[in-house]
Amino acid sequence: MSQSEYLEVFIDESQEHLQAINDNLLQLEKEPGDLSIVGEIFRSAHTLKGMGATMGFEDLAHLTHNMENVLDLIRNDQLEVTSHVMDIVFEAVDDLEEIIVDISNGGDGKQDVDAVVKHLETLQGLEPAASGEEAATAEAVQPANTINENYDEYEWTVLTQSQEQGYQAYQIQISLDEKTMLKAARVYMVFEVLEQIGDVIKSTPPADELEEEKFDFTFVVTLLTTTEADEIKQRILKVSEISSVYIKTVNIDPYKENTTKEKNQVEEKANSSPAKKQEKRKKKESSPGKKGTELNKTIRVNIDRLDVLMNLFEELVIDRGRLEQISSELNNTELNETVERMSRISGDLQEIILNMRMMPVDQVFNRFPRMVRSLSKELGKKVNLEIIGAETELDRTIIDEIGDPLVHLIRNSIDHGIEHPDVRKSSGKSEEGTVELRAYHSGNHVFIEIEDDGAGINKEKVINKALENGVVTEEDLEKMTDQQMYGLLFASGFSTAEEVTDVSGRGVGLDVVRSTFESLGGVVTVDSELGKGSLFSIQLPLTLSIIDVMLVEVAEEKYAVPLTAIIETAIVNKKEVYSAHNQKVIDFRGKVVPLVFLHEIFQVPAKDKDETDNDFYSLVIINKGEKVAGLVVDSLIGQHDIVLKSLGNYLSDVFAISGATILGDGQVALIVDTNALIK
Amino acid sequence: MASVLIVDDASFMRMMIKDILEKNDFDIAGEAANGQEAVELYNELQPDLVTMDITMPEKDGIEALKEIKSSSPGANIIMCSAMGQQAMVIDAIQAGAKDFIVKPFQADRVMDAINKVLG
Repeated sequence: MSQSEYLEVFIDESQEHLQAINDNLLQLEKEPGDLSIVGEIFRSAHTLKGMGATMGFEDLAHLTHNMENVLDLIRNDQLEVTSHVMDIVFEAVDDLEEIIVDISNGGDGKQDVDAVVKHLETLQGLEPAASGEEAATAEAVQPANTINENYDEYEWTVLTQSQEQGYQAYQIQISLDEKTMLKAARVYMVFEVLEQIGDVIKSTPPADELEEEKFDFTFVVTLLTTTEADEIKQRILKVSEISSVYIKTVNIDPYKENTTKEKNQVEEKANSSPAKKQEKRKKKESSPGKKGTELNKTIRVNIDRLDVLMNLFEELVIDRGRLEQISSELNNTELNETVERMSRISGDLQEIILNMRMMPVDQVFNRFPRMVRSLSKELGKKVNLEIIGAETELDRTIIDEIGDPLVHLIRNSIDHGIEHPDVRKSSGKSEEGTVELRAYHSGNHVFIEIEDDGAGINKEKVINKALENGVVTEEDLEKMTDQQMYGLLFASGFSTAEEVTDVSGRGVGLDVVRSTFESLGGVVTVDSELGKGSLFSIQLPLTLSIIDVMLVEVAEEKYAVPLTAIIETAIVNKKEVYSAHNQKVIDFRGKVVPLVFLHEIFQVPAKDKDETDNDFYSLVIINKGEKVAGLVVDSLIGQHDIVLKSLGNYLSDVFAISGATILGDGQVALIVDTNALIK
Repeated sequence: MASVLIVDDASFMRMMIKDILEKNDFDIAGEAANGQEAVELYNELQPDLVTMDITMPEKDGIEALKEIKSSSPGANIIMCSAMGQQAMVIDAIQAGAKDFIVKPFQADRVMDAINKVLG
């Protein structure tokens, strides 16, 4: 494994642990008495520390070390979990996050952690500043007496298992006489002695470096044995040219190991620890290690590879279309059967590949509890965030994009929606406002909803503001439904906040939120009741790259209309077309539906054949939210699975075209962006 | 009083070790100048300890060590090595040598090794 691969794993795992810390801290805040949560946090912090130290990120290690100390106090009932304590720990976690972000951006993970460390030290009742240096100098003076060995997960597993089998683990620091000439041979002898009485599972420096004499005079080994520490020491000292041997019991409980570093002196500890250990192990069992089982069932695959797989599969889908076409032309039964079978299998394959790219929205949602907590503190509001359906899955490309706009919407709900506690009280609500974040599947879509029980949207204000800013005219307003008026919030250049706060009045309006979601094929709607709260609803497609479309023909050209936008298809007599407001409309199922002539919009040259001999229009009825329109086409071809290909960078702003696809017969069909056709 | 068999092809080296051992009240059982001699003398004298040079004509120290060990598994043999013979020293230890000392000899190191093996 190269260094960079190590780093990748390091970053991944660090992020997992940070997330675990965050989640558990929030949990702890809710149940301050639950010390098992503290244990979980401690474990994560400790692992982080070990990993950080191994990779040489000292600030990370330093900070986690201090966090650990504070958590230890909490765990031992020496420190109460107050809001103040939580704030400081959260602050530390923020710093840790920054460090990890810095590292993942190629930085060196250096961070000024002094301020937070000082806070943490104050919590520990230490004189700030002193301890760090002290520890450092102590280490410098007496390097021989400190053993500080880190183990990776695999080694811990070995340690834990062997302890269950009755072995004791010792860290043994052995120093050779400074005059030793053939150090490697001496080390060899030591190992030979050790291997007679147990198993050496780790040495620092590693064995090959010891063999090449790449060490000064001291090395550390971890030994699993049933022999007593004293006897081990005697046996090692039997080897010539050994100047000193220090033995320390390894506490299997992972987070204990490093804290005992300073007081490492040794053998006596063996007596006191077993009881403790057992207790710890019990705890472990009671909270089943979900990580362990998951690890066995998943492998990490680089996202790029999945993208490549997807791309290749898309090519296959195109060829499949071609094959289907050819086989239907040849009309050979055997060929037809084979192709049909292949289509079915590739359909299954497609489902699997798409599923592989699906990730739970939790990936995005999990950062919100923290955000809501700090935001509500900042604003002096009481907010309870409820997350429902975090396991709902969405395509990775969509997940990546929706984080920021969702943050914006949630901020918006808390800042503008939820009232201050006193206001809520006087209007007969509970002091604590609730923001509910929901995600759920519905058909080919995933809905994400943000509902708050706050003040709701003041329609008058929205209207006034919209008129003021020239977003709408009075005339337009008369025709608008309430929902459409609320939708004005998302129009560009709009902000109803009376005072611009640094929370959601950041100059980035809700219009950016809307356009982000729309670029993903999503639709945003708002509903609200004054005084009761608001509901922001986002409808997102499950996936972006392979979509179901209705193929239509306009003169000689083929167009694809996404099935998700289609309500139905229809054929109407030309006599049923009326004109209203300079627009051709039809009366369709009791509704007035405006017609959009695709050959006009896309300026398709008319066919040679005279069209007038046809008394009917073929229609595709599409919708965008509440609005409906009928696309007039020459003929309807049928439903197809197609691969969405972007038009590329050169053709970025083509009106009403969202991409292109290659059909089975090799023709290119343009994909109609129905949202742009409905005003 | 422990008896020691000194094996080295250089008489100068044998002398040095002999000198050190005598000063520390050891009994010199005999001296051998090569591996073959060493094996024969060991079987004849059954000393408590052997100091065995590695590089010797006829039969080197490691060969001799192996032979002695095969007939007398309990033999206490300390290898005498020069710098740069690390691999051979390790071979010797694998083959059952109890310790090694490195030339140029230092009296305390030699005694340290011998006492450890005999102690």
